[in-house]
Amino acid sequence: MTVPVATTAESDVTVRDVEYVERALIDASTRLPVLFFYGSAIAWLLLGTLLAGLTSWKLHAPDLLSNISFLTWGRLRPAHMNVMVYGWASMAGLGTAIWLMARLCRTTLRHPLLLIGAAAFWNLGVLLGVGGILAGDSTGYEWLEFPPYAAVVLFIAYSLVVSWAILMFRFRRGDHIYITQWYLLGAFLWFPWVYGAAQIMLFVVPVQGVMQAAVTWWFANNLLFLWFGAIGLGTAYYMIPKVIGRPVYSYHLAAVGFWTYALFASWTGMQRMVDGPFPAWMITASIAATILTVIPVATVGLNHHMTMRGYFGLLRYSPTLRFTVFGAISYTVFSLIGVVLSLRSMAGYVHFSEASVAYSHMGLYAFFTMTMFGSMYYIVPRLVGREWRYASLIKLHFWSSTYGVGLMVLMLLVGGLAQGVSLHDPTLPFTESTESILPYLRGRSVSGVLLTVAHVVFAFHFGLMLFGLGRTASVPTFLNPKEEEALEARL
Amino acid sequence: MKGIVPLLLGIFGTLAFSWAGLILIPNYQIGHLDPQVDEDGNDPYPAPKSGMANRGRRIYAANGCVYCHSQQVRADYAGSDIDRKWGVRRSAPRDYLFERPVQLGQMRLGPDLSNVAKRAPGEEENAAPAASPTPAGPATPQASPATKPAPGASPSMPPATASAPPATSPAPSSSTAVAAASPSPAANAASTAGTADAAHGNPPLYTAAWHHRHLYSPRSLVLDSNMPNYHFLYEKRRITGERAADALKLDERDAVPEGWEVVPTYDAKCLVAYLMSLDQSHPLKEVKATAAPPSSAPATSPAAAASPAPAPTKEAK
Repeated sequence: MTVPVATTAESDVTVRDVEYVERALIDASTRLPVLFFYGSAIAWLLLGTLLAGLTSWKLHAPDLLSNISFLTWGRLRPAHMNVMVYGWASMAGLGTAIWLMARLCRTTLRHPLLLIGAAAFWNLGVLLGVGGILAGDSTGYEWLEFPPYAAVVLFIAYSLVVSWAILMFRFRRGDHIYITQWYLLGAFLWFPWVYGAAQIMLFVVPVQGVMQAAVTWWFANNLLFLWFGAIGLGTAYYMIPKVIGRPVYSYHLAAVGFWTYALFASWTGMQRMVDGPFPAWMITASIAATILTVIPVATVGLNHHMTMRGYFGLLRYSPTLRFTVFGAISYTVFSLIGVVLSLRSMAGYVHFSEASVAYSHMGLYAFFTMTMFGSMYYIVPRLVGREWRYASLIKLHFWSSTYGVGLMVLMLLVGGLAQGVSLHDPTLPFTESTESILPYLRGRSVSGVLLTVAHVVFAFHFGLMLFGLGRTASVPTFLNPKEEEALEARL
Repeated sequence: MKGIVPLLLGIFGTLAFSWAGLILIPNYQIGHLDPQVDEDGNDPYPAPKSGMANRGRRIYAANGCVYCHSQQVRADYAGSDIDRKWGVRRSAPRDYLFERPVQLGQMRLGPDLSNVAKRAPGEEENAAPAASPTPAGPATPQASPATKPAPGASPSMPPATASAPPATSPAPSSSTAVAAASPSPAANAASTAGTADAAHGNPPLYTAAWHHRHLYSPRSLVLDSNMPNYHFLYEKRRITGERAADALKLDERDAVPEGWEVVPTYDAKCLVAYLMSLDQSHPLKEVKATAAPPSSAPATSPAAAASPAPAPTKEAK
């Protein structure tokens, strides 16, 4: 009688122990490359924030530093954007994606040092690219301003990373492929095609005339949706169920969401060129695709919401959950605003206004960046073996990011509308439109102060973790003091 | 998910679908256009730009002009572009045949530049409305040969082809040589018309001299402008011997010390050459011309006269 009971208990402990050790081993194998990707990303984030501040400030103080060629507004703006896109967002996304891939494939990362090489190459590529832009070597294609010599380096770095990710996938244990893996695999395979095709069609065998713009915007929107969007959504699909300890509400919904997303989001590129010099069907097709992205948005949103139902109270405690849920909600808002902005009746007003900048920031910041912050708050403690030092700093980071990006998007959307309405009325002088947006641009600069605070605080906190100054504790850092019993009761 | 194969096929297929749909098919449709010529093979449009203008486009791209200035005119139903006289017709793919990198832009913190070389005095919203009335002496005779032959030729030809000037000399002088010709009529028109400006010693609107001055000191010409200045494209140097012919004439706010002058660098000259080559006023067969510019801009202004407004309407029918 006693013997079987003892055996069961013993084997239970063993299985849990094995899984625990296995996870620890996997985390340890990803430790150096992921931290290197994260550290570089945060360094680029700080530089990008500085460039963003200059870009924003110079819009209402045009003569500031304008007699220095490499600080002219028209070079700072693409430098800022590319630092954020390729330096911060891509590197943070890659770090998270590598870690998630290793965890979900239940396999250790083999030869992690080579990935550090890849990250170094990536840094070199971004450095060359940004240097090139500031030195006056920009290609002049939006989102692709990096000169080809930098793009080549980036591509080499990328090939290394993707080979590692695919290798991990090849050596995965278990038949089941989790939702996050669909998105990550998609992102890893879409990126080289999108980036490679754009580079080849613009610089190697260049297409003619306006087709260059078609390639550029096809690239830009696919980078936004199929690269950043896929990594962001995949991360959310991992983090939300993981933190609340509950499976995803519906696999079926997730599949519908994934495939409709891949199908429709990839067609949205020409939405950026409404009524431009293209065959009308191209633009109409993209507008239709943008409208259809409501389907994946609704399914993904519903799925997250149903997973979270009854657990929203946890947002009070978990930094990861708070950032990730903010990102997931922003994804819905971002997509719906995209639909509204792309409609022809609306585009007549807001096209060519700052509203498009608001749209990009919603996608890249409110959705993607916030999701990445969330994943970093989850992953970094597992890599360094310490917990985040100060709950107050996390809170400060969250709120200044939230208010910062909220204020920025609000200012740019409302300002863009004011600008667009003035632009639309031909009886008003042109300068009326630039005058009408100036107050909003000043407001946007104020939002930049908040974002700067957020990023500096986060970088400082990350630095503490990196140098082993985190807390040594067995429980994670909660945003608010948590009474264990109260939480248990809630659960 | 069931297996790896459908996943990979789906990932591949969705992007392939979008690539084919938004890149390959359009490239087949509009990726191999030729310049438009008349039935005699003359009067090609667009023409490749000069070497200086091409270099100027690099300067334009490198310094991010595109982040504030678009180069695309939307149709009259889609926006106020044509009402703002940023063009006489909407832009079409053929207009950008030789543009590389193409600088369509998607932001207008500054005015659209598709036709900046063609925009005449008095058509700029900041200028006094009285700027345009005096018809420019040289502009009218130069433009009339291009418009006159068309009606004369039409009886003998089907209307679809009638608009093109029949023979050699007038056509190139008014259309192909836009880049070269436009400064002069514009300058002439402006020098007579823009007397108000001239009184202040400012160069006439949208001439090369105006662009240089505007690049060097935007707010000395357009009070509310928030364009940065581009001092780094200009060289401030001590006058040796004679004052350079292309030295900028600056007003007191940018005054340089006695014995000094500000001259454009070669890059600045190229940039202005590029700006002076931006002109989409030539009619295109595939674009229905919008109605002639509203009455506030008399048809005698060089832009309206040089672009035969009635002709494309005939072609479209």
